[in-house]
Order: sequence, then structure tokens, then C-alpha cells
Amino acid sequence: MRCGLKEPVLAVERLTVYRGTYAAVQDVSFSLEAGTDTAIVGPNGAGKSTLVQAILGILPRQTGNIVILGQALGHKGALMPLIRQQIAYLPQNFLFDRRIPMTVEELVGLGWDRLGFQMPWVDRQARRAAIQSALMRVDATHLKRQLISGLSGGETKRVLLAYCLVYPRRLLILDEAPAGLDMRSESEFYDLLYQLKQEQGWAILQISHDLDMVRRHSDRVLCLNQTLLCQGTPEIALSPENLSTAYGSEFVRYRHRH
Amino acid sequence: MTQLTHIIELFQLPFMQRALIGGVLTGLMGGMLGSFTILRQLSFFSDALGHSALLGISIGLLLGLNPSVVVLPFAVLFALGVNYLLEHTRLWTDALLNIIYSSSLAIAIITLSFVGRYKGGLHNLLFGDILAVQELDLVFSGGLLIVCTVFIGLTLRTQMLMTLNEPLAIARGVAVSAHRTAFIVLLSLVVGISIKAIGVLLVSAFIVIPACAARFLSRTFAHYVVLSAGLGALSAVLGMVISAGFNLPSGPSIVATQLAIFLTAIALPNLRLPVHE
Repeated sequence: MRCGLKEPVLAVERLTVYRGTYAAVQDVSFSLEAGTDTAIVGPNGAGKSTLVQAILGILPRQTGNIVILGQALGHKGALMPLIRQQIAYLPQNFLFDRRIPMTVEELVGLGWDRLGFQMPWVDRQARRAAIQSALMRVDATHLKRQLISGLSGGETKRVLLAYCLVYPRRLLILDEAPAGLDMRSESEFYDLLYQLKQEQGWAILQISHDLDMVRRHSDRVLCLNQTLLCQGTPEIALSPENLSTAYGSEFVRYRHRH
Repeated sequence: MTQLTHIIELFQLPFMQRALIGGVLTGLMGGMLGSFTILRQLSFFSDALGHSALLGISIGLLLGLNPSVVVLPFAVLFALGVNYLLEHTRLWTDALLNIIYSSSLAIAIITLSFVGRYKGGLHNLLFGDILAVQELDLVFSGGLLIVCTVFIGLTLRTQMLMTLNEPLAIARGVAVSAHRTAFIVLLSLVVGISIKAIGVLLVSAFIVIPACAARFLSRTFAHYVVLSAGLGALSAVLGMVISAGFNLPSGPSIVATQLAIFLTAIALPNLRLPVHE
């Protein structure tokens, strides 16, 4: 494991999160460095989404510490707005009321704002330019003035990614991000993540079910099934032995046959 | 022609001018907050607030206090109480709100029966009396309009994200619960302040109808909020003119105008030629 002198972008220490009465995530510790792509793998119900939601402060945690960019996440999820703005999150299921009249441009722009008290027209030019270039990066400039109600599943994903990209971040958290994208869009999506990681030094934390993609694109893998079963490079973490611990031996035999 | 001079003459009377200004202020506030209220599915909540205001007024009358003074703090406390119940019970929202508004109406009428003869009468409480709007009412409404505009203006983007998807807003550090409470307090103040002019039964129309009309006519969220407030004001002016010209009750005339605007808004997009996006 790389352990530089640099401060990690995200450090999770002995995190335990309860869902109702059972511990969905128990005693999990890991850290992320800038410019790396870390995948969380594990079977359904392993607590992957719970883990990232606790990191973001969406779900409360029972015990443990979460430090993001050197600042500890408050127990009720409080974090300085300046730090918050450095984090982007793409949820697994983005459900919204399709009757809301909002254009793609307006949605992407929300990613740019600091969301405190601000004049609606503050930094208008810079904001507009940021929206334009974010939409260009995800190849969605043609959707700019469309209402979000008319977007397809794949288009919605791309627009949400633009919402994440519109401001320079340091930590990007993706929950099953490429789900719903076709093959071409999916490979473009991974290319884009690679650029962000290499050129801009973003730390990426993503939940994934696609182990082949994880093998190809991730620098590190966390195997989660309530507790952290293993972590390391894909070769180590996704070895048959480790996979059978995480998913059960049936799964590994199935994977080897295909 | 005589009708027109009649209307012009009427609007030279101070009480008519106050009524007009009051209507416009209420229309602007109702439309502005209404645009978020309908998207967050709080329309029925605003209705329950209206009905509960009658309870506030009747309690005020029973205690011998000025109803206009009692109704505002009552509306705010009531809204916070209802919000607490909504967040902490497992009942369906519309069922819970139904219990609240029908029971507060019932208790209000019983309370009023102890008050004896109220000079304004129940009719005025139910349907309002826009002509009885005083200068002080206008000062309050104007102040509240400024508060609403500043609050919504400064938090517009936060409100938009919260309305779209709450987890996304929480992930960005928005204190969703505090924002929700602040919005509900503002909404209850607008309802409470508008009760006198429009009455408990029709007040929610000012919140809901212009916003729904604006929804049909808007291509962006920003336009939608502004248009909703604008349609609220426009319907107040037109409704007052119609009410003066044909000697009709003013509150219901404004609501009927809102309905006409709403129906026009539904029809309009269908009349337009299809535009390629």
C-alpha cells in the first residue's frame, strides 16, 4: 500500500454504521490518496452504499472518524462549505420528480454553487463558462437548454456527471455510476475518470459491480461485506481466494467458468 | 364606457387602493412561495394552514385579543407542530393533514360559538374581506414580501437542489431540515397575513393556482419562480377590477381569475407550433 507523506484526501477510521438495529458497516478503516481510483466491491447488501453515504454525511454513523481533506466530518455530517465544494457525489438511483421545470444547464450549474447565501447572479460569466465546459466534457452540450424531464437514463447520467465536473473537485464519489450507459458511453466514462485522476489529481471512490472494469481501471480495491475483508491492488484483492471470502465460493466458480 | 369610469372612480377610493395593493402583495408572495410549495407537494399543507388560522383567530377572539395579532404567532407554531408530526409519525401525509384541518375547523367553530356575536361574522373569516385591509396590514405584507424575496433570492440554488433531490443536497452540506423549517415558517406567515383579506377557505388558491399555471408556461426554473409570482400579482389586479366592475365579492373574483389564467396556460402550449429542440 502506498503510504506517502502527503495527507490523504479521505481517511476513514473504524467506521461503524447502523441501519435500524443491525450494523450494515462495521469497523471499516481505509484511506484515499490524491490521483488514485479506488473501487468498493462486494455482494448486494454488503453495505457499500451505506458506507459512501456515511462518508458524505447523508447517513449518521455510530462510531468512528471520517477525515476529508484534513477536516473531520462532524457527527451530524457538518463540514466546512469550502471542503464540501471539493467533493462530488453521483448517487446510484437519481430519482427526481419529472414535473420539476429545470433545464440541464440549471442542474449542472447547481454543482458549481457553494450553496450558502449568495446572490443568484454572482460570478455569472465564470459560472456559465464552467457549465459549458462541463457539458462539453460529457458530450452533452446539445442538451443544454432541454428540460431534465425529457432526458433518457443515459443522458441523465451524463448530465449528473457534468454536475460533478463543473467545479474542480478533489474527491469524487460514484455509486454504480456507469449503470445505464451503453458500451461506448461507458468506455468514454472511464476515459474521463482516468483524465480527471491523472491530470487533475482527483481521488475517485466508486462502488462497482463490474469486476472486469475494476481490474482494468482501479488502482485499489476494497472488498466489503459488512466489514472490510481485504484491500489492495486489483490483482491481490480480486484473487479467487479473496473473492470467495467476499462473495462466497459459488460466485468464484461461476466467474471462472465464464 | 360607464363601467370603465365606474371602475376608475372606485379605485380612487382609499380602501379600494389598499385592497389592490394588498392583493398584489399577497399575489406576489403566494406565487413566489407557491412555486416551491407545489413541487415539494406541500399544497395540502398550505390548505391545512389556512384552516388552522381560523382556530387561531377564534382563540384570539375568545381571549379578547386582536385576531390579527394572534393569528401570526399561532400560524407559525401550528406549522412547526404539524411539521413535527409529519416527520415523526408514520401516517400518510394527506391523511394526517386531513385530520388536522378538519379538526381545527371544527374546534374553531365551537370556540366561535362561545364568543357570541363577532362583528365581522363567520362569512368574512371564511371568505375574507379584502376591502377591510388597513394600512398596517399593508406594512406587514410589504415587509414580509421583502423577507421572502431576500430569503428565496439568496438561497435560490439551495432551494432548487433540495426540491430536486434531497440526498444530493445533503451530500453538498445543505442543512435540509433547517431549510425545510425556514420555508414552512415563511409559508405559514404568508398564509397568516393573507387570511384577513382572502379568508381561510381560499387562501391556498393563492399559493397553488398561479404556480401551477406558471409550470405550464415555463422553460427554466428561474422563469418559473418569477412567472408564478407575476401571475399571482396579475390575477389579483384583474380579479379586483372584475370585482369592482361587476360588484362581485373580491376574494372569490381573484381566485376565479387565477382559474381562468390556469386554464389559459393549459391551453396555450397546445396552440403553439411544435418547436424542435
